[in-house]
Amino acid sequence: MWPFIARSLEISTILLLAAIGELLDERSGVLNVGIEGIMLLGAAAGFIVGDAVGGFVGLLVGAAVGGLIGFLHGVFSISLKVDQVVSGMGIWLFAMGFVTYWADRYSGPLDTKIPKIYDLSPMFPIALLTVFLIWFVLAKTHIGLKIRAVGENPFAAEVSGVDFIKIRYLCVVVGGALGGLAGASLIISYLGAWSHLPTKGLGWVALALVMFSLWRPLILLGGSLLFGFLWQLAISPETIYAGIPAPLPVLRMIPFIMTILFLVVISTETFRKKWALAKPESLGIPFFKE
Amino acid sequence: MARLEGLSFKKERIIVLTGGRAVKISALSVAFSFLVFSLFLYLEGANPVEAYLNIFSFALAPELGLPATLHRGLFMLFSALAFIVVYRAGIWNVGMEGQFYLGTIGAFAVAFAFPNLPSPVLIPMMLASAALFGAGYGAITGFLKGKLDVNEVVVALMLNNIAFWLVYLLTVGGPWAGSIASSSRPLPEPARAPRIWETPFTSLLAAALAVILYIFLKYTPLGYQIKVYGGNPNVARHVGISSLKVSVLVMALGGAISGLAGYHMWAGDAAFYLIPRPEAYKAVGDMTYWGIIIGLICLLNPLASIPTSIFIGAITVGSTVLVRRFRLPFGLDILFLGIITISFVAFQFFYNYRIKMRRG
Repeated sequence: MWPFIARSLEISTILLLAAIGELLDERSGVLNVGIEGIMLLGAAAGFIVGDAVGGFVGLLVGAAVGGLIGFLHGVFSISLKVDQVVSGMGIWLFAMGFVTYWADRYSGPLDTKIPKIYDLSPMFPIALLTVFLIWFVLAKTHIGLKIRAVGENPFAAEVSGVDFIKIRYLCVVVGGALGGLAGASLIISYLGAWSHLPTKGLGWVALALVMFSLWRPLILLGGSLLFGFLWQLAISPETIYAGIPAPLPVLRMIPFIMTILFLVVISTETFRKKWALAKPESLGIPFFKE
Repeated sequence: MARLEGLSFKKERIIVLTGGRAVKISALSVAFSFLVFSLFLYLEGANPVEAYLNIFSFALAPELGLPATLHRGLFMLFSALAFIVVYRAGIWNVGMEGQFYLGTIGAFAVAFAFPNLPSPVLIPMMLASAALFGAGYGAITGFLKGKLDVNEVVVALMLNNIAFWLVYLLTVGGPWAGSIASSSRPLPEPARAPRIWETPFTSLLAAALAVILYIFLKYTPLGYQIKVYGGNPNVARHVGISSLKVSVLVMALGGAISGLAGYHMWAGDAAFYLIPRPEAYKAVGDMTYWGIIIGLICLLNPLASIPTSIFIGAITVGSTVLVRRFRLPFGLDILFLGIITISFVAFQFFYNYRIKMRRG
């Protein structure tokens, strides 16, 4: 039972890191639908560097690459005023192409592994700490207030002396780095091997998690734990109960079906009002400073 | 304002983007990606000019790559059209992969159920079933979007993953499992696509669909409603255009077009005539995403997508030469498509601004 829980907590870790990064992005008003792509690039960089140098360096490089791609999304969507969804999609499609070319030739197991404590990845406490830190920054600090102000109304924030461009860049870079770290820990800590496009939709689940967290880090934590469990259950149900009658493909569909169901539930009338209130007002809208 | 060697550059905001400028930007972004890709070819140790000549001479030679170029290219045209019709209404269709899988299931279900029917009866039935399955699957996303405003991108991506496992369920050890490991039984003889000019007739069907879609979007009242809705959903609602109707309609249309690709892909290529093992059908499913970039580069014009799809098809088919003759790594073709995408995104800057250069 414990190995199963440790594995599912590891999936939760990956979802949590990617999603908290996206949450930070969105709180500052930048939607990044390219997390799946950022995770892929972070995973590839983490894999290649991790294989050559070592697991922890791989994680750091994965995060750095993620930050770089986050910065690129910032250049496109903040400075060049490209539609945020178009930019995010572009990053995702580019990542699919680049990663296939770059990492597929090294497909296979990773030589180094990072040490685990009782089967549990050290990334799990790190992710918990990150969520707490981001919650603290957003809710309790001055810079958090600025971030939220920029996300609600960049024009008003600008008038009251907040450099919204700087704030948004900060958020997309940190958010991207967390996405890259999520991808790198998927490869280095969870999978331990590279195969063609290994993220398998985790980035999109993370994006959905942000949506139904109502942009609150603590709800996000709960959602990540639940979906980590579901994802792992779909992969190795036999560790919980050997006699599950459903065939493997049906189990594999469960996390995706649950994601749709969750999205539908939070879109119903009752939740919609709360949702509309919680949503950063300027999310997805490019802002022209004249 | 930046200065360089006595020249000064200034960016100027553009308020109204003209059609001509948009076309120029698309063309320039593709030209630019050729330059960037040359750099990768050079780093891999190949002469870029020689490599491009090889790619296109192979891909467009009738006795070598042309049949495959048309087949793959027009496969992506189905996806591009499915993206275009939906995005005209301002809604993202990234569900072409799932709709294509469902179309595959629809087509094969009919073929396996009635293997003895003659071609003229069986093939239209397969096409209708493929379109219907794809439309139904697309309509789920459209319904949730129109009724509850659920994010269509995430829902479609989830449905794509679900559809992948649905095909898996049927083929790998399932009711359609064939004698070759992990792939389906072969299609019965009458189900295979007849060929016109060395290409399956469905290639021509894709081109015809592009023309029909162009006329539909431009000249019919329904096409106009879609355009109004895409321009501003709130205005559309005020003049009595229903969100639910438009989003279900466009997603079902897109799904139907994507679904047809499920027949075109497997029944149109003698290398298949079956659903291959999961990695192989997934690789084909991944190709549907390039429909997004074809649609965007063509500025949502169905007619322009015909040559663009064939061009992208030529890159995918021609790049096999790089692996065989130049001993370059696999995946360069997908890299090229990725570069086209990101360069197109970067060039979107010129939608909003122009750079003025002055001496002095």
